[in-house]
Amino acid sequence: MDVSRKLSMVFVGVGGQGLMTAARVLAEAAVDSSTKALVAETHGLSQRGGSIEVHVRLGNVYSPLVPVGEAHVVLGFEMIEAARGVKYLARSGMLLTSETIMRPPLPGVRVPKRAEIESVFKSAGIRYYVVPARAIAEKVGSYMTENMVLLGALAGTGLLEGLVDMYRLRARISELPYADKNLAAFEEGLNTCRSTCGNL
Amino acid sequence: MYRLLGHAGTTELLMGNEAVARGFLEAGGGFASGYPGTPSTEVIEALADVAKEVGIYVEWSSNEKVAVEAAYGASLLGVRSMATMKHVGLNVAADALMSIAYTGVKGGMLIFVANDPSMWSSQNEQDDRYYGLMSYVPVLTPSDPQDAKDLTVLGMELSEKLSHPFLMVSTTRVSHTRAPVILGPLRPPRTKGTFAKSQGLALVPAVARQQREKLISKWEEIERLFSELESVNAVEGEGRRAIIAGGIAYQYVKEALDEVEVKDVKVLKLSTPVPLPKGLVTKLLSDVDEVLVVEELEPVIENQVKALVTDERLGIRVRGKDLVGLVGELTLSRVRKAVRAFLGLSYQEPQTYELKLDLPQRPPSFCPGCPHRATFYALRRAVNGLRIKAIYSGDIGCYSLGLYPPFGEQDIILEMGGSVGVANGLAQAVEGQVPIAIVGDSTFFHAAVPALINAIYNNAPMLVLVLDNRTTAMTGEQPDPGSGVRATGEPAEVVSIEEIAKGVGVREVVTFDPFDLRGATQKLMEALDYVVKERKPAVAVARKACALEAVRKARRMRVQIPLYQVVDDKCTACGICYNAFSCPAILVKDDKKAWIDPSLCTGCGVCADICPYKAIVKVVKEGKGWDEVWM
Repeated sequence: MDVSRKLSMVFVGVGGQGLMTAARVLAEAAVDSSTKALVAETHGLSQRGGSIEVHVRLGNVYSPLVPVGEAHVVLGFEMIEAARGVKYLARSGMLLTSETIMRPPLPGVRVPKRAEIESVFKSAGIRYYVVPARAIAEKVGSYMTENMVLLGALAGTGLLEGLVDMYRLRARISELPYADKNLAAFEEGLNTCRSTCGNL
Repeated sequence: MYRLLGHAGTTELLMGNEAVARGFLEAGGGFASGYPGTPSTEVIEALADVAKEVGIYVEWSSNEKVAVEAAYGASLLGVRSMATMKHVGLNVAADALMSIAYTGVKGGMLIFVANDPSMWSSQNEQDDRYYGLMSYVPVLTPSDPQDAKDLTVLGMELSEKLSHPFLMVSTTRVSHTRAPVILGPLRPPRTKGTFAKSQGLALVPAVARQQREKLISKWEEIERLFSELESVNAVEGEGRRAIIAGGIAYQYVKEALDEVEVKDVKVLKLSTPVPLPKGLVTKLLSDVDEVLVVEELEPVIENQVKALVTDERLGIRVRGKDLVGLVGELTLSRVRKAVRAFLGLSYQEPQTYELKLDLPQRPPSFCPGCPHRATFYALRRAVNGLRIKAIYSGDIGCYSLGLYPPFGEQDIILEMGGSVGVANGLAQAVEGQVPIAIVGDSTFFHAAVPALINAIYNNAPMLVLVLDNRTTAMTGEQPDPGSGVRATGEPAEVVSIEEIAKGVGVREVVTFDPFDLRGATQKLMEALDYVVKERKPAVAVARKACALEAVRKARRMRVQIPLYQVVDDKCTACGICYNAFSCPAILVKDDKKAWIDPSLCTGCGVCADICPYKAIVKVVKEGKGWDEVWM
């Protein structure tokens, strides 16, 4: 494993979307691959539908938190949160996000549309890919596997190479409940990104 | 196989709090007690999971003071014990702490406190290391999960060796970071002992005066011992400048120094901030020109170093909070800036992307099916129905979220149990308004009962509304005295809120089901009417299980969860369900009509009652046992 490399990632989404599980599985696979891993969650009240950030750092790292503007990858589990999470993205970084949009339960709230969000990503010059995570999860048979689709998409970027062995990552995913569905979601996510993300 | 019980020598990804739990097991700890509080909760949770397997005693106590007293009791029998809590919990337990320092302990005793800089889930940003200085209880601070485990073992051993309690103070970024931890050997716990009479445990003034003398000399002994603890207070590097890093700050300093060319700087990783190991620090500073202290929260190390520099006439400049700042948790960029400024290097913030888009905020909210939402909705109807002006004296729990729109029914939120205590003063001094104290079940048991007794004793007219969701929900559903189950899963006596209220002399006690909106509103009006007319306290109990717990139970017991949907033709797009009730499972379509997301709906059915047009209907019927999962 490459000991001098650092990979900084921030998973952003809404409480209850399975960010922590995805981050934990990835970090466990990293540790199994003899790579140092740090996972830090930042949110207020757990599981209460608020914005959540999970910072995942692999390699030669000490700080659990990713500084603003230094994430190699921002992984969005929800598009509004992905837009909020852009502040962490390094200028050379890549934004992967689910197409899911969740309305914050506030009276009279204005919710931006997907096209609107994508157009600001474009005009800011961000390298981004909208993963059809919800569609894939539904195809696999459980909307609860969206987090594994996104983890697959992250693996599909190739950025984990040299830090996390893919077979160890699959082994950790297969320890989850509903392993078959979760693994299927992971593979689908990996394939969709592998064919697209490399050209971003 | 439990992750926490892995073999010695193996590496596990552990959260800092889990690492503390593992350290407790490696130290042969036999008794652990605590009160849930972010970011400390997972220590007791992790220990409760394995309690039966390893044969130790673990409990959720009714509050932090009881947790510390109970751990002390076990320690007096020679059992190694630990009490855990969040930073503000130590305020509740402070009385016990101050006295335990005087009597000392027998079995090793650790008090683990997790501080919450940036107040991710707290009402203040307090530094509990100050309690160490105040009580003469030594403090250990881990920099990462590995330290958290190792210092737990060390603290337990030192505590027993010195017959003195130890504090371990962690912060959010240590407690809630998962990192690889190399496990040490587990030690068989000692769980039972007998009490041996000894001098110095009964703190009447004559005894306390003697103990005070002993305490001061013990403190000097501890300071000398800390100066020799090179394993945890290690110096790295060489140079005419020094950085002292306490707790998590060490990790940030290490990464910040990795990034710069300048290397003529010594770093002391200080794991024992209180008392400052004077011998060690004097030696460190004797050949440097300048020192920077980096620590999270208050300048606890910095102030002690400044005193030392004066006492020893070292004549060097001590930098610290002037470069690091006092507000919020440390970050790599904050520490980078401070370290580079100290080394005379420039620093440029990385460039970020600017998005030209207004993003809606997403504060935490009541979950779909949360009974609190229904209770707040009913309470507003009752208050409006009686045309009274209410003061909502709030408290600490999920229901604190009643502060936010559309409810706005938490005017004051202070601390645990404060709702009823503050309402006592409001009730006696208010004109033309009615105080309503709103408190959850766990918080009621924790600190509200004495305030309720005060309300009866001094006759303070108020409504005490207890939101009883059968659990300590906000910290992740830990059982409490009303849950009927203990931390380790054994059935327990259910402590009745109504019986407590009646027992202390409340004459008007009502109970309602928040999902029955009409009944709930009526009961609340009844109780409020009593307060206004009789000028006496009343208690109303809203009883319904936490939705997260109920849904989990239904899935486990394979009880069909009902599903509600909006009949499009009947929906008039009035917005009551998604604006005034604000259930996250109810979404707005482009035509402003409502749509229920089946993946979020928990089948509580309250929206169907609220809809004035009967446009929300049940499309999947509940299975047998549905009502029971909400009990």
